[in-house]
Amino acid sequence: MLAPFLKERTGQSGCDVQISGAATCEARKTPDAYQGGANMSGVSPRLVAYAQVISFFGAFLLFWEYGVRYFEVKKYILPPISAIAVAIWESRDQIFEHSMYTLAEVLIGFIAAVVVGIIIGMVVYVSPFAQRTIYPLVTALQTTPKSALAPLMIVWFGYGFVSKVAMAFLFAFFPIVVATLGGFAGTAKNLEEHFRALNAGPWTTFTTLRLPSALPAFIDGCRVAMPLAMIGAIIGELVGSDRGLGNLIMLGTASSRTDLVFGCIIVITLISLVLYAAIEFAAKSVWWRGIQV
Amino acid sequence: MSATATIEAQKGSAQPAVQPQANHIEATGLNKHFGKVKALEDINFGIRNQEFVSVLGPSGCGKSTLLRIIAGLIPYESGSATIKGEAIHSPRPDIGVVFQTNNMLPWLTVRKNVELGARIRKMPAEARDQAVDKVLEVLSLSKFADAHPHQLSGGMRQRASIGQALVLDPPILLMDEPFGALDALTRDKLNVELLRIWQEHRKTVMLITHSIAEAVFLSDRVLVMADRPGKIIEEVLIDLPRPRDAAATRALPQFGEYVAYLGKLMGVTK
Repeated sequence: MLAPFLKERTGQSGCDVQISGAATCEARKTPDAYQGGANMSGVSPRLVAYAQVISFFGAFLLFWEYGVRYFEVKKYILPPISAIAVAIWESRDQIFEHSMYTLAEVLIGFIAAVVVGIIIGMVVYVSPFAQRTIYPLVTALQTTPKSALAPLMIVWFGYGFVSKVAMAFLFAFFPIVVATLGGFAGTAKNLEEHFRALNAGPWTTFTTLRLPSALPAFIDGCRVAMPLAMIGAIIGELVGSDRGLGNLIMLGTASSRTDLVFGCIIVITLISLVLYAAIEFAAKSVWWRGIQV
Repeated sequence: MSATATIEAQKGSAQPAVQPQANHIEATGLNKHFGKVKALEDINFGIRNQEFVSVLGPSGCGKSTLLRIIAGLIPYESGSATIKGEAIHSPRPDIGVVFQTNNMLPWLTVRKNVELGARIRKMPAEARDQAVDKVLEVLSLSKFADAHPHQLSGGMRQRASIGQALVLDPPILLMDEPFGALDALTRDKLNVELLRIWQEHRKTVMLITHSIAEAVFLSDRVLVMADRPGKIIEEVLIDLPRPRDAAATRALPQFGEYVAYLGKLMGVTK
């Protein structure tokens, strides 16, 4: 989990302030910048980097834990982190059940958004008529605040599962359509001409050239859409539901169980992270993203 | 001045050698506009079977447009353009085209990229594999068959691009500044390689270039174009002995004379 953050840090190790002198400059370098594998104190730079991250977050959690006690913050405003952990553990069955419900909403909504997004993206790409009609409509709808549609979804699809799937879908759909379209439109013109010179049929050109060309952009769309699907589902649950993590948050708030509310928020975040990591993993198979030859 | 005179004389003698009925590629009174801009004006030329002809001209003189018309990629307005006596209206299977930008699909290996044309044209699998093997060997790319394009150098990618055109073994090869994006050294090497391939597997070649030395070294004839509007201003027969050789041919005094003469035509030298 820490690795990407560590890597990101080494990217900004350059020291552009020349006036401050070489010594300061050296000191500013992140540990990974030392090639020898050990810095002057003889400690592995990787270890130092991990230690920095762990001590930062450790200090943050400790400050939370003892800060709320020291300043006597009311438990229903901000419970100590230990109380949140206890709440998660004690309500684990309940949280797990609601998590699965929410996860199902998110996944079904997301998959529906992918399928419909690809279809609409393709139709708009191949049909000038759709380009003139459906595309402006999609663009206009994209600017609508989707959360405003939540009450409507509940009126249309009821209090249960389907209205939340619809919300997840609405949130995830637009980035996928836009990305898919961008991907198709971004097919290199010289490659299109090359295929024309080879007398390639439209289907061959589509499967061999356009589809692989569009995949990196499409994956980027999914990357954006996945967390949005979660947001959509949770908003739907907050507006009106009988199950799911959003529903649990509402119950927790109503009964001043702020610890449980925080527990739900943490679980939602964790699920989002896992789903995002899954997309990242899938994105690895589209390795030609960003490669120009 | 005597050198120029010799060339003039040869140029004159080139005319009757072009037999219209023997022409593989022929253009007569060809015109092309892009909107109001006249891109090509009254283009007349013929390229005989297995002849190597270069079209030399400054950037933007319409030489690429001419190649695209011959390749059947873009339409022309008046006049006629034929291949083996048939009017050109769409890309033909007996033509291989190499463009300036290499046309490698980054997600395919070199092998898959080279066999693309054969796949699209539905060559039987066995013949296709053999053809690809042969082309990779001819271009000394066999070792890199399983590499992806981004792992190759620019010169190797361009060689693979030529492989994409050669795999179908087309009798006619159209090349649009195939080495234009390469550094001078790589370009020289690929010139030698192209010459070797052409000497071994004779094809009718139309090469678009803006390099005078490249045109002289490779061609039987050079068509010189001027811009605005694009038209052929002169046709120069390159009467250098074949088979040509990288060092020996370039060392010939006539080689320098041709280069100087063409340079003068193109306004490089006075």
